[in-house]
Amino acid sequence: VILPRAIRPRTRRSADQLAGWTLIGPSVVLIGLFGLVPVLWSLLMSFQHNDLQTPAQWAGLDNYRELAHDPVFVQSLRQTVVYTVLFVPITLVGSLLVAGALNRRIRGISLYRLAVFVPVITSTVATGLIFTWLLDPEFGLVNSGLNKLGLPSQGFFASPHEALYTVVAMTVWGWIGFGAMIYLAALQSVPTDLLEAAELDGCTKTGVFWRIQVPLLRPISGFLLVWLTINALQLFDEVYVTTKGGPLHASTVVVYYLYQQAFVYFHAGYAAAIALLLFVAIVLVTLVQMRLTRDGSDPAEAGGAR
Amino acid sequence: MERSPGRPIRRSSIRRPLAALAAAGVAVLTLAACGGGSGGSGSGPTTITVWHGYTDVEAKAFTKLGQQWNAAHPDDQVKLVFDGGNDSALQKTIAGFTGGTYPDLAYEYGSSAATLARQPRLVDLTSKVKAASFDWNDFFPSERAASTVNGKVVGVPALVDNLSLVYNKALFAQAGLPAPTADWTWADFRSAAAKLTNPGTKTYGWAYVNDGSEDTVWRYLAMLWQAGGDLLTPDNSKPAFDSPAGLAALNQLRAMAVTDKSVYLDSGNDNYLNLFNSGKIAMLWTGPWDLSSIDSSVKYGVTLLPGYNGDHETISGPDLYVTFDNSKARTDVAWQFVSWLDSAPVHLQFAIDTGDLPVRQSETQSPDYPKFLAKYPGDKVFVQNLANVKHVRPNIPEYAQVSTAIGQMVQSVLIGQAQPQQALDSAKAAVTSALAGAQ
Repeated sequence: VILPRAIRPRTRRSADQLAGWTLIGPSVVLIGLFGLVPVLWSLLMSFQHNDLQTPAQWAGLDNYRELAHDPVFVQSLRQTVVYTVLFVPITLVGSLLVAGALNRRIRGISLYRLAVFVPVITSTVATGLIFTWLLDPEFGLVNSGLNKLGLPSQGFFASPHEALYTVVAMTVWGWIGFGAMIYLAALQSVPTDLLEAAELDGCTKTGVFWRIQVPLLRPISGFLLVWLTINALQLFDEVYVTTKGGPLHASTVVVYYLYQQAFVYFHAGYAAAIALLLFVAIVLVTLVQMRLTRDGSDPAEAGGAR
Repeated sequence: MERSPGRPIRRSSIRRPLAALAAAGVAVLTLAACGGGSGGSGSGPTTITVWHGYTDVEAKAFTKLGQQWNAAHPDDQVKLVFDGGNDSALQKTIAGFTGGTYPDLAYEYGSSAATLARQPRLVDLTSKVKAASFDWNDFFPSERAASTVNGKVVGVPALVDNLSLVYNKALFAQAGLPAPTADWTWADFRSAAAKLTNPGTKTYGWAYVNDGSEDTVWRYLAMLWQAGGDLLTPDNSKPAFDSPAGLAALNQLRAMAVTDKSVYLDSGNDNYLNLFNSGKIAMLWTGPWDLSSIDSSVKYGVTLLPGYNGDHETISGPDLYVTFDNSKARTDVAWQFVSWLDSAPVHLQFAIDTGDLPVRQSETQSPDYPKFLAKYPGDKVFVQNLANVKHVRPNIPEYAQVSTAIGQMVQSVLIGQAQPQQALDSAKAAVTSALAGAQ
């Protein structure tokens, strides 16, 4: 926390500065080494032809130019957008509803809360494997359930038309617990006097939830929106363990394509160009989202301060 | 596109830390840190580092060989380091070069040969393998071809395998069908697969790994070669699979997967093996590595792949031990160690311990060879079938891209998304542009 300069006496400044830098020093070094340097390094690499083995050659804007004409890259962009546009709102609303349902005093509530949170702490690889078994088109549990209900079998991960949506469903399941826990904490910090006042005024339980609690959650929703969007744009693990971007590139998202270019084809310069574009896109999207959510009025501030 | 690999290039001291950071960026710092062997010059023993991805019985047998070597060579020690698995060996080795800490010897997939051939620190073994004592021609021809990139020998064989037809005897008996024979045609195979398929019990005649990876590609390549086609032109500059042979192979796949629906399409999670074990799949095209996972209750037979006009060619994916230059002394030890590993008696012992196929033809003449066959009766056909390996996959750096294009082509036919000719045309375009240097 940096206090305004005017408050501090001049003589103490240098000592404070030293102490401050000493305290944040390790983080600065670590973030610099593992955050900043790689970013600059890959910025440089994006202007090179680089196979990670032989000396790199200067490529100018070649990589960026080629990206514009790469049909698989364009497809991966489109699919990343589709994924994000589906994943973020569904997870947000789903988390809110689950949090609302969990925000009550009933017997065994901590067990329910635990159940909702388990997917979050389960490793992505394990989740992915379990889903590929459950959703196996021929022998999966889900299709046999569908058949029992008289519904036709689905291809899920194996179908080019369904793979991306199946990934959406799987990741929503994996992330709802995270969103719900954050919302739950925020819901519990809503002042009870506000809720009591609303009830005295004759507001129903549902009314209290939607008219009092949800508006107070606005800053939390803003945080989740930014967080989920960044994660959605960087989707990789789930695709890697389930569909490997297939079938027929149907679930190839930007980061998966980047991985393929860098570590399967060893086109590191090209991959770095993709990474840079993604980085810029994430920064822009995040700035816009933060601006939109910050413009909220006072009630939002009140909820966030607790 | 890239400069040709030249002599080893010393990085300047300024670039080194930056290079190390880039390696950290790909998260291999831990491995690089444990991979560093102690130096070689001066007094004391020379120690080399060997990266491998062996697990289970193979890891046990390999460790035993390492101990045996170390006991006999107090001055030339080897340190075996598990690199996390062969699937990512190439990525980790390359990250190791960037970070400046790389093994003296590493187990690498044969498909990585062309990529590693560009590495300035790779030791060119062309003259070493020619030594009479090494007896290079004793290795199977497919292994020698897989080890060679543009005339340069980049590694020596570590493993050889091939695809053969493995079938469930009980399912054939139940269906009243005679067991597959070594002179089966594609038509015989197709009709048997159709008869073995029963939608009611969800039983399939055949399984095909349909994840678009090299696993999808190489079964197609065997069929392409049987039908007289080839993947690329002899100079590897243009696609050649857009031929009647390439089309015939795709037509066969479509006939079975789409028309007959006699093929279980595995999504790449190796479900096919469990289904074979539970009697839901009658036939597999697979290699010796799967035999140890077949339940003892399942009685299976092994025979050659079905053929086209009498051609029963199969495909092999030999893997390599590749040597990298840390210093002259360490390179020498690495070469001595790998020559010993690949000598007929030592490798045969490894084969008996693990069920890996012999890598040298002379191993099959050894008085100990019957021990191998007695322990792994299923491997007999696989060893015979090594003689049916006539082609190798092109050893070019663009192979990964070519493989992706072929994988997409086969996949689109198997799931009925594209007609064979249409799939062939789009794969041809993709391969042409990959070979022309597109990313």
